[in-house]
Amino acid sequence: MYDLDLLEHTDTVNELLARYGVKFGIYKNNTFREQLFPFDAIPRVIEPEEFDYLERGLKQRVVALNLFLKDIYSDKKIVKDKVIPEDFIFASSGYMAECEGVRPVKDIYSHISGIDLVQGKDKKWYILEDNLRVPSGASYPMIARELCRRSSPQTFRDTRLEDNRNYAELLRRTMDNVNVGGHTVILTPGRYNAAYFEHSYLAEKTGAHLVNGSELKVVDDRLYYVNFDGKLERVGAVYRRISDEYLDPMNFNPESVIGIPHIYDVYRKGNVALINAPGNGIADDKGIYYFVPKMIRYYLGEEPVLSNAPTYLPFYEEDMKYVLEHFDTLVLKDVAEAGGYGVVFGSSMSAQQKEDFLALLKKEPRRFIAQEVIDFLDIDILEGSETVPRKADLRAFVLMAEEPLVWKSGLTRFSRNPDSFIVNSSQGGGFKDTWVLSH
Amino acid sequence: MKKLYFEYDMRISYSEAAQSCRYTMKCIPAGTDRQRLEKLDIRIQPKADYAEGEDSFGNRLLFGGVDEVHDFFSVCVTGQVTAGLSGAEPVRRGTDAMLYRHPHGLTRPAEGICSYWETLRTKLRGTPLEQGIFLMHRLRQDFAYEQNVTDISTTAEEAFRLGRGVCQDYAHILIALCRMAGIPARYVTGMLIGEGRSHAWVEILSEDQWFGLDPANDLLVEDSHIKIGVGRDAADCAINRGLVMGGGRQTQTVRVHVSETCEGKS
Repeated sequence: MYDLDLLEHTDTVNELLARYGVKFGIYKNNTFREQLFPFDAIPRVIEPEEFDYLERGLKQRVVALNLFLKDIYSDKKIVKDKVIPEDFIFASSGYMAECEGVRPVKDIYSHISGIDLVQGKDKKWYILEDNLRVPSGASYPMIARELCRRSSPQTFRDTRLEDNRNYAELLRRTMDNVNVGGHTVILTPGRYNAAYFEHSYLAEKTGAHLVNGSELKVVDDRLYYVNFDGKLERVGAVYRRISDEYLDPMNFNPESVIGIPHIYDVYRKGNVALINAPGNGIADDKGIYYFVPKMIRYYLGEEPVLSNAPTYLPFYEEDMKYVLEHFDTLVLKDVAEAGGYGVVFGSSMSAQQKEDFLALLKKEPRRFIAQEVIDFLDIDILEGSETVPRKADLRAFVLMAEEPLVWKSGLTRFSRNPDSFIVNSSQGGGFKDTWVLSH
Repeated sequence: MKKLYFEYDMRISYSEAAQSCRYTMKCIPAGTDRQRLEKLDIRIQPKADYAEGEDSFGNRLLFGGVDEVHDFFSVCVTGQVTAGLSGAEPVRRGTDAMLYRHPHGLTRPAEGICSYWETLRTKLRGTPLEQGIFLMHRLRQDFAYEQNVTDISTTAEEAFRLGRGVCQDYAHILIALCRMAGIPARYVTGMLIGEGRSHAWVEILSEDQWFGLDPANDLLVEDSHIKIGVGRDAADCAINRGLVMGGGRQTQTVRVHVSETCEGKS
C-alpha cells in the first residue's frame, strides 16, 4: 500500500513542513510558544466501504446538529418535548441568548464541522466529540499530502486513493453557498493564533482574502473590506477564525481588539454570512453530546449510524449511581473545558484526589460527563527506524454546502506518549495523513 | 392611562479629542400592548449615519459610529407615549418563560441571596404575581436606597451583601429571588414620571402575562412608567454602549424628564 520510499522521506517532509511554517502555536500561562506539529509518514488507511459507512454516519450527525441549532435558537421543540432537559441548554456556557431569533443564511449553522472519532479494538468507530465552532486541522493533511506526493511520486502512482487536495474546492463551495453578495474573506486573529498557518494556507488555496479585524469595517448595516486605497468593498461571507466571544466588541467581549464592532448586527440583519454561525457552542457542549443520538432520532426519525462512546450523565440519578459504582473504569470530563483539558481518569486518581473530585461531582453533577474508556485500536508510528503502536484519533471534516459533503481524508492525530489516551494537538503529539482508498 | 411626554438626554464629554467611536443605543420606548409610542425624535451628535435593528430580546436598537475627531457625543430622544393601556403584557414568544427563568450574568445568586431566599421560600403563597409582590415588599424592608455605592457592573449578590443600592440593584436582586422561586423574571429599562435619571424595574411572568414591579419604589407598574428595553439583566438592555478610540477620561451625564404635559420640555 505504502512503501518504504515514502517512509524514507519522513525527515524531508518534516523539514519542508517546518520551512512552510506548519507550526502549532500554544498560548499558555501568558507565554506564546510555537512548536512543530510532527508528521508521521505512515498513513492511516481507510477502505472505501468503511469510509462510505463513516460518510453516511457523519452526514446524518451533522444534519441533525444543524437542525438542533435551528430549533434551540427558535422554538426549542426538543426541550418542550422533554428530549433534552431545559437545564442542559440554559446552564451551558455554549448557549448564547444573543442568537435567539437570528436566522443564518439558508439555515446553515455549522458550515464546517470537525467530528472526532476513535476506532476501538473491535474495529467499531465511536464519536468522541463534535467541534462546530472553529474546528481546525484540515490544512495539515492537505499540505502533508502535497509534500509527500512531491517527495515520493512513486507511492501515489501505485496506490489508488482519493485525492484530498480538493478540500479547498469544497470549502469554496461551502462559503459561496451562503455569500450574500461581495467578497469572501477569511478572518484571522493574526500570527499568534495556534492555527495561523492554516488560515493563510486556506486563504491561498480557496482564493479568499486573508484579513484581520482592522481591515473590515461596518458602515450603515453592511460589512466592507477596506482596500489599499482606503476604498470600501462589500463583503458577503466571513469565514471567521475568531471565537464568538472576540468577534464583536459591541456585542460580546468589549475588550476584544481583534474583532469588528457591529459585525454581529450586520449578520443579524442577514447582510453577511458568518462561517460558522455564532452560538454553535451549545451543540458541541460535552453535556449535549450525550443527547446527539436522541437528536438524530428526534429530528430525522432515523437510528444513528455512528455511536457515541458509552456516556453517563451524573445529572441523572441512575447514571450517578453507575458512575459512583464504576468510578475506576471511567473517564470524567468537565463539560466547560476543551483541548484535552479537564479530562481525568478515575483509575489514575489518588485517594485524596478521588475524594475531592467526588465531592465536586455531587455538588455540581451537571458539570461532568463520564465515559467508558475505549480500548483504542492502536496504529503504528515511526520511532527512529522502528514502528511502535500508539493511540490515535481521527478528525473528519463535514462541510455543509447546498448538501452535506464529507471530505475524503481527515486529520489523524496520535499521542507520542505510549501511556496517554489524550491526542489533542494542544498537548503535543503529532499527525498523520488519512488515506481513503478509492473504489 | 396617561399620555406622557418624555425627553431622554445623554451626553458624554471627553477630556481629550476622540478619534472615532462606535455606539449601540437601545433607547427607543417599546411599542407593546400596554404602551403606545406616538411621537419620536432622535438626535445624535456629532451627526453621523446610523442603522436600525432589533436584538434577541425584542429591543429596537440604533447602531453606528463617528469617524471624525470629536470631543463629545450626545443622544437626545424625545417623544410621546400613552402608557397604561392595559395592566399587563401578554407573552410575545412561547419560549420567553424559558429564557427568563434561569440564573444569568449580574443576577446570578450566591451564598448571600441564597440564605436570604431560605428565609422566604416557605412564606410564598398564591400566584406568581402575588409571590413577586411579596418578595418586592420584603426587599423594601431589607434593602436601602442609596446612590453612588454601586455601579453598573455591580452584581445582585454584591449589592445584597452591601444592603444598599439603586434601582438596578433592587431589580437584579428581585429577579434573582423570583427565578429561585421558578418565576420567569426580566430586567426592564425605562423612565419614570418626573425628573431624574433613567429607571429600572422588573417584569415577572404570571399566568401568561408580564406584570411590572418597581422594587425601588415598591409599587406595581401602571401608567407612570415608560418602558424602553428588556433583558435577562442590565447588561442585555443597556441604553447605551460605546467604544471610543482616544478621548481620555469620559464624563457621562443623563437627564430624563417625563411629564403629562408638554410644558417643562425644553
